[in-house]
Amino acid sequence: MELLFALGLIAIKIALLIAMLLLLPLPLTWLERKIAGHMQQRMGPMRVGWHGLLQPVADGIKLLTKEDHIPAEADRFLFKLAPILALAPPFVVFVAIPFGETVSVLNAEITLYVSNLNVALLFVFAVIGLEVYGVIFGGWAANSKYAVLGSLRTCAQMISYEIPMGFAVIGVVMLAQSMSLVDIVRAQSDLWNIVYQPIGFFVFFVAGLAEAQRIPFDLAEAEGDLGAGFHTEYSGIRFALFMVSEYVIVLLVSVLSVILFFGGWNGILIPLPPLLWFALKVAFFIYVFMWFRFTLPRYRYDQLMAIGWKVLLPLSMANIIITGIAFT
Amino acid sequence: MSRVVDRAGTWIGWALFADLLSAFTLTFGYMFSKPVTMQYPDKEKWLPYSRYRGHHFLKRDEEGEIKCVACELCARICPCDCIEVVPYEDEKGNRHPAKFEIDTARCLFCGLCEDACPADAIALGQQYEFSSFSSRDLVIGRDDLLGKPGKAMTGGGVVAARLNTEQDVLVETSEPHGYNWWRNIRRT
Ligand code: SF4
Ligand code: SF4
Repeated sequence: MELLFALGLIAIKIALLIAMLLLLPLPLTWLERKIAGHMQQRMGPMRVGWHGLLQPVADGIKLLTKEDHIPAEADRFLFKLAPILALAPPFVVFVAIPFGETVSVLNAEITLYVSNLNVALLFVFAVIGLEVYGVIFGGWAANSKYAVLGSLRTCAQMISYEIPMGFAVIGVVMLAQSMSLVDIVRAQSDLWNIVYQPIGFFVFFVAGLAEAQRIPFDLAEAEGDLGAGFHTEYSGIRFALFMVSEYVIVLLVSVLSVILFFGGWNGILIPLPPLLWFALKVAFFIYVFMWFRFTLPRYRYDQLMAIGWKVLLPLSMANIIITGIAFT
Repeated sequence: MSRVVDRAGTWIGWALFADLLSAFTLTFGYMFSKPVTMQYPDKEKWLPYSRYRGHHFLKRDEEGEIKCVACELCARICPCDCIEVVPYEDEKGNRHPAKFEIDTARCLFCGLCEDACPADAIALGQQYEFSSFSSRDLVIGRDDLLGKPGKAMTGGGVVAARLNTEQDVLVETSEPHGYNWWRNIRRT
């Protein structure tokens, strides 16, 4: 009975998580277009629903009813597999992400995470690294020059930015003496990590921008020079899957920034419910992502590589050494 | 010396991301400034300036008689050869056009006909919404031309409007004056 209850709880949590992750890109696309519009003194979507609120639904219906085209020369199996490979890892990662401590529903204490892995951070980085396969396969299978160039760039970019990103969070692990994300947040209940780890956060955030393939590091889908990069040949629902994966990764990097450096659900000054604090911080980071996107131009490819290897990597290593000296 | 200081300043600026900061404050400022979008055609509409060259119209004199004397000068000067005038003589012996057709599909709205007319009978008015599904509908006859709206009196602006899809595609508005669209343009 006990086991059945636990299993049912996990099933409900996972269903909720999947529903949230699938539905969240809808408001995010709306928000992104609104922010883009207002930063350029336009209005953004206005016609579908109040201030264009139903625009994502209309777009979704459009994408679902569009022809799902597979190029004649494409590798059909990989072409179909790639969007799923790009979508699955960001979803899997959220299994290890805590959204809060516990809430009590009907006298039962329910934890706000699916599982509290003791190597959660390692798990997150290992799984999110797999997302690149979707992008590489997508570009390769389409058999088009733009797509291949896009995925080649992604390949190099992901490899060179995952290393500083991994190094950047080591400082956090050293402070919390644990890799469990819940423990990391608990360790920040007095003072957020950003105070101890400004360099770590800087490196993590820049690498996170690159990881999420956002401007100024969105070379994989540079519209100006590559058409649309790795998803040039994708249309309809498969394209939508790539888009959902992109937004889930944006969400993931925001959530990780909050958990690792900004105290997770620990609030300051104003006593709000922990979950609300968490949501507010994540929303702020998502806004920063969009703000970056519509402010900065795109880096050149060699600059991207130079930043990754010559700036971020040394900085992240220096951060480990400084943390090690200062806190032992 | 000053160049060294300049360069040091540039480096300090770069190290502290001064250029990035100014970029972010700029976009943040724009984010909360008023959008300049004109929501044409179903919410707002642009009123042209009086110099605007839109659809042609024919004028009448004080007695209500058509001003045109059918001299065909406009037809001559027209670079697109799109005016066709057939004259007739009325009881008093005055020449008037029996047929006056402008093919607005070919017209380039240069306004030369307006300049050439010795009787000040033709001019280009303020109407700019006369798209059509057939180029045949764009050949406008004399009586239609007499009924077209004249020169704009206001000096540009945006007014509230409403799309009326029943009567072809017409954007209706009842306001004579609008707000000045340029007031929302940021000049820095
Ligand atoms: S505006 Fe120019 S092109 Fe049009 S009818 Fe007059 S003269 Fe011809
Ligand atoms: S509109 Fe003017 S130029 Fe043209 S035929 Fe009439 S009087 Fe002559």
